[in-house]
Amino acid sequence: MFIEFLRLAGQSVLHRKLRSILAVLGVLIGIMAVVMLISFGLSLKGLMTGEVSKVFGVDTFMIMDENVFSRSHSNTVKEYALDLETLRGVEGVKTVAAVRQRTAFIQGGTDDSGKAQQGFFPVMGLSPELLTDFTAFTGDLVFEEGGRQIAETDVDVAVVRRQLADRLGVGVGDAILIAGEKSNEITATVIGILAASEEKEQDQEFGMSMSASSADTIYIPYATMDRLWPEGNDFLVTVARTLPGYEVDEVADRAEAALKAEGSRVAAITSGDITSLIDQWMTYINIFLAGLAGISLLVGGVGVMNTMFTSVLERTKDIGVMKAVGAKNRHILAVFLIESGLIGLFGGVIGTMFGLGAAALICLMINALTSMPGGAAFPFIASPTLIAATLVGAFALGAVSGLWPAWRAARMPVVDALRYE
Amino acid sequence: MALLDLQGVTKDYPLGSTTVNALRGLDLSIERGEIVAIMGPSGSGKSTLMHILGALDAPTDGEARFQGQDLRDLSEDALVTLRGRKVGFVFQTFNLIQTLTAQQNVELPMTFLGVRRGERAERARALLAKVGLAERVGHRPNELSGGERQRVAIARALANDPEILLADEPTGNLDSETGATILRLLKQLCEDEEKTMILITHDPDAAAIADRIVRLRDGRVVEEVRHVH
Repeated sequence: MFIEFLRLAGQSVLHRKLRSILAVLGVLIGIMAVVMLISFGLSLKGLMTGEVSKVFGVDTFMIMDENVFSRSHSNTVKEYALDLETLRGVEGVKTVAAVRQRTAFIQGGTDDSGKAQQGFFPVMGLSPELLTDFTAFTGDLVFEEGGRQIAETDVDVAVVRRQLADRLGVGVGDAILIAGEKSNEITATVIGILAASEEKEQDQEFGMSMSASSADTIYIPYATMDRLWPEGNDFLVTVARTLPGYEVDEVADRAEAALKAEGSRVAAITSGDITSLIDQWMTYINIFLAGLAGISLLVGGVGVMNTMFTSVLERTKDIGVMKAVGAKNRHILAVFLIESGLIGLFGGVIGTMFGLGAAALICLMINALTSMPGGAAFPFIASPTLIAATLVGAFALGAVSGLWPAWRAARMPVVDALRYE
Repeated sequence: MALLDLQGVTKDYPLGSTTVNALRGLDLSIERGEIVAIMGPSGSGKSTLMHILGALDAPTDGEARFQGQDLRDLSEDALVTLRGRKVGFVFQTFNLIQTLTAQQNVELPMTFLGVRRGERAERARALLAKVGLAERVGHRPNELSGGERQRVAIARALANDPEILLADEPTGNLDSETGATILRLLKQLCEDEEKTMILITHDPDAAAIADRIVRLRDGRVVEEVRHVH
């Protein structure tokens, strides 16, 4: 009997084309908003987790200040103290790399009038492992001609950016003076200058967004940093890679416990920790987006309800006739519920297509107009679960919106309905 | 036993702040195979009587028995099933569903009774052929003339092979020639299919095909005339 009711309802929808189209449009816009926003949310999450796994891999964890994720904490990166040898000694740890940061007095060349160029600038000490084993953290660095990256055996060398090189009046091969703690002082040779590039500035940062690196930063070897400031309480970021066969989360927990036992106020963070943090934030974002989309769905539902009330009124006589020839209340209810459900479903199908299309377009546009660190791109994600849930939801939205009108139709006394002109 | 038996039937219904006493103690008995015309001026209770005879409505008071079964004892669903199986309606304004084809309209009463699709289609086509519309099964009401629409409605009324045909002013919206044809068709069908027919009409020509004419006034039977054809 369902097929017959479907036909009755379908023909009624087609018979009132314009009105049906308008009601479908109302649902369509709502569904489109839902699908577009959720798809975009999925893309955003895909991008973020993709980037995290690219930097971290499955075998890497980070040591950071223990308050790094706490909400009361400001979003600046805090320095912390730890003993790298303790970390290296943790079971399952293969390689460890660290970045330390200090501010130091720097003196470069002289300007045209013979005046020395000097000032206080941030200095970062990079372990050789960072440059060899954790290249994802440094990103692709573009050196000006004649320059090169710090090598494992280098001592008393420095890499600066073009902007700072200009301020200090130095070029590749020139010497700069770096003043450390107490009377520790070295003269370092500039071996590389990072090309200035307005657009790519983000790409040029060591340690990506985790670092407080800026255009003024001077990069020196880790061993040189140790000589200038023997007191290692200025770690910015520490990364460790685990040996094959070890669970990264277990090794990270052991490392955190070992470091804390020595009094370091640190936390070991794995990609899983960051991913779950992203998940948590995405949940908030999705709830917000769903709320927005829900409003447009509500409006669509009210549109369907309005159309169905008109349809019921218009077909009062038909309802009377159907009841006269043997239709029970539940038959009438079914016919009208299917009719409103169909309007919902049509809106759902078209809205889903448009919504996915719009989400794909947004991803394309963002990817075309912006460039993200490491060439990352917004992935377009068409989730089958989302599509299925949306279509079922759209039919349900239509049916629920039609419930009241259909119930009114079903309850109509046959004699009154027949008399209706 | 009479097919339909009404004893002291009253029907009141509210209209605004007043109550209309549409039927005021009406007695009427209809035998199987009879053609009965019910006549009377507007407001005499013809339509209300038709609703009760067609099991569309229950009386306020009195007894209305359909094959001995008191309508007041039946639930709403049971009333629906009763009229679905036993009563075929023919209306003045045809009352076809505009979105359905002639065949689909004829199938509708069978659909609600759960008749299978193949059987339904076959019977609908046979009935449309019987009323002379074998070539028009796929047309929608707005593609048919008034006479043709009423033929579709007659075919629909016969769909579930009812005991009784209830025709409410079946010629009221047709020109006299077409009306006469429809009346001949109705009479012919009643004779062929051995149906009982109740004809509610203003039209003396329509009443002329009846075996008996019942006149109503103010909700009561005031005259009964038996025709000898």
